[in-house]
Amino acid sequence: MPNDGLMMPAKTYCSGFLYTHDQWNNYWEGTLKRENLNIGKLTTQSVMYYGVYGLNEKVNLMVMAPYIRTKASMGTLRPMEGVQDLTLSAKYNFLKVEAGPGKFATFVTGTFATPLTNYSVDFFPLSIGMGTTNVAGRYTMNYAMNNGFYANASAGYTWRSNVKLDRNAYYTDGKYYSTNEVNMHNVFDFIVDLGYHKGPLQAEVFYTQMNTLGGGDIRRQDMPFVSNKMNASKVGGLIMYYLPWPKYLAVRVSGNYVVAGRNVGQTTSLTGGLMYTLFFTKDKELKTGL
Amino acid sequence: MRKYILYIASVALILTAVVSCDKDVQSEQSLKTLTPSNIDANAGTWKPILLTSNAQIVVPAPTLTTSDAYKAELQSIKDLQANLSKAQHNAIEYWSAGGVLRWNEILRGLVARFNLPPAPNRYGAYPAPDAENPFGDPNFPFANPPYASRAYSYVAAAQYDALKAAWYWKYQHNRPAPYTVDSDIKALMTKTDLPAYPSEDAVMSGVSAEVLKLLFPAAVEEITLKAAEQRNAALWSGKATSSDIAAGLALGKSVATVFTDRAKSDGMGAAVGNKDLWATLVKNATDRGEMAWKSLETPPRPPMLPFFGLRAYNATTPGVKAWMMTNTDIVKERPLSPPPTSSDEMAKEVAEVKWYSENLTRERLAIVHKWADGAGTATPSGHWDEIASHYIEAANFSEVRAARAFALINIALHDAAVGCWETKFFYFNPRPCQLDPSIKTATGVPNFPAYTSGHSTFSASAATVLSYLFPANAQYFNDQATEASLSRLYGAIHYRSDCQMGLEHGKRIAGYTVAFAQTDGAN
Repeated sequence: MPNDGLMMPAKTYCSGFLYTHDQWNNYWEGTLKRENLNIGKLTTQSVMYYGVYGLNEKVNLMVMAPYIRTKASMGTLRPMEGVQDLTLSAKYNFLKVEAGPGKFATFVTGTFATPLTNYSVDFFPLSIGMGTTNVAGRYTMNYAMNNGFYANASAGYTWRSNVKLDRNAYYTDGKYYSTNEVNMHNVFDFIVDLGYHKGPLQAEVFYTQMNTLGGGDIRRQDMPFVSNKMNASKVGGLIMYYLPWPKYLAVRVSGNYVVAGRNVGQTTSLTGGLMYTLFFTKDKELKTGL
Repeated sequence: MRKYILYIASVALILTAVVSCDKDVQSEQSLKTLTPSNIDANAGTWKPILLTSNAQIVVPAPTLTTSDAYKAELQSIKDLQANLSKAQHNAIEYWSAGGVLRWNEILRGLVARFNLPPAPNRYGAYPAPDAENPFGDPNFPFANPPYASRAYSYVAAAQYDALKAAWYWKYQHNRPAPYTVDSDIKALMTKTDLPAYPSEDAVMSGVSAEVLKLLFPAAVEEITLKAAEQRNAALWSGKATSSDIAAGLALGKSVATVFTDRAKSDGMGAAVGNKDLWATLVKNATDRGEMAWKSLETPPRPPMLPFFGLRAYNATTPGVKAWMMTNTDIVKERPLSPPPTSSDEMAKEVAEVKWYSENLTRERLAIVHKWADGAGTATPSGHWDEIASHYIEAANFSEVRAARAFALINIALHDAAVGCWETKFFYFNPRPCQLDPSIKTATGVPNFPAYTSGHSTFSASAATVLSYLFPANAQYFNDQATEASLSRLYGAIHYRSDCQMGLEHGKRIAGYTVAFAQTDGAN
């Protein structure tokens, strides 16, 4: 993943499908936490193709593309579904040194993301995405002990393009705009994780914080809007395990929960998937990580 | 090696383009500087809407341009012009697009800001907005489509009457603009031969602010600041002296009282009704053997302004006055009844809505969202004003002719709101989702009966008046009205008959306004 301390070895390709089930009953209308009986439970399901290729020992290339479906359990609003955004990342491990009882490594990741389809961004909370084209930079530090325990910290900054609505005017953040173009503010995030990785097993717990660097709050009893100041603090965990058989197949399970937020749902998210590693080299040894 | 350098350079270029591009979005409409193609010197003879005559409010004669007092006023303009700040230049540029267009845009913003339904309290009830406590939760008003239509019409009609009165007195007193009297005064807006006393900008600032303060009392600060800025821009630009402005402000405020007096007693206060009255609407429908409309929100929300349209429903609910139609006209123009809720015909209509709900394309969704005009927007009336603004701008109308255009459009839109709401609550017909709860919608279901479609009625009314004003573009306006109408079927919130009957109704309603316009002396 773009934000972890792991690298695929050269000439190997690990890919698979991840299924994610998100749901929330409460959301933050600005800073006010509330339920909405005309939305009920908002469920988002996605199936994402994920692949990471070891270009060489120092550089990994990643690709992600999800199909997303949203649904509200109450009220009349229709479900939405479709292919969302293509994300391409390159991760470069520019430092790896022995330090004490382990290794210290740092990474930079560059990401480009853009919508694959012209989905509507004017139907929140049911829109399937933000519709922005993004360029993101990320810096990650990782310390992995020889006994398998590791600590990881990562911070990212995402530049987002503006988006266009299907309508010629809108009101947000205290202003009426006579245009269809919406200013999408950039996003900052950081992630810290603690985990264990040895042999076929990786397990970790993490905390993430995402802040949108601008944008308005959802007003009282208003609908959410694409450029709202969406902030979220999440806690979660992850387990990935390479099965003894079939060889090179890994099971990945993760979950997270939004503990605090602003203009977002209080989401519980569960992900499960299978990842398979292909070798384009004679050295078919699984040595993911450092 | 060169290949790599080229590759890295192009990636860097793309990244720089995304990262460094200026993302700021201008909120105000980009409008060109108003240069009227005709100053409409005879507008003082055009027919008033509410005033008894354009001379009804007397503007006393000004001091002579040769007087010391006037010369002192000119000197003070020169002093101001010598030290204009960037902010002052920006204000001049903003208002040089024309006060009528700017006030309409300001009003669209106010409507969007106040167009939020009250949130339910913890007992599942919806507190009503209170004009006596406009800053409370919920704010007053809830600028929903009927409220907004009424507001647009009051502001536009009051501006129009005030400007005709201003034109009348301008040509009675014939005092030229400061930049004409004194060549040392720069014309920072377009120079015209229009007499300056009373100042049309000050008239507009006064009439707009006074009417708006009644309609949007919680926005008093913003309204007052905008009005003062408009007067200052007139002064700084060399267009009007302080006495031109004082006379204009007084005239604008006096005209405003004629309109605010009407607004205070036009039936709006009784349009909400009460629980007992709402129950009688259900009974009326069930007594006719029909399924009565019910709110599809949870908890159920009282219907939106049920007594806005109905004529003299009981002693306490007269119905909101129309501008060009009598109570008899409104009842006479009401569309024939919709298919009975239990009929095969209705079942077919429901099936068609369900088909659109299940076969939504991206193109149709774009149309639904283009015309959603729901909570937090300027409403359908504001949407049509926005459409009109581009044609008014392009036509280089004088301020008084621009005011006429907005007055005619918004008078028709208000009458459409009255006529449509009368129809909706007379028939009290359920929405498609009520008859078939499996129907899912691509926009929120409005909280009032289905028959007829408000969008269709509003859009046909506006398109009819716009076609009268700009006949060369009639096809475009009618196409837009049809698209707006069908958007409600595509979104699965209206039956086709709601849309068709609404379009026809809206067109008939606008006929009353067009008939007025044909003989108002402005052609």
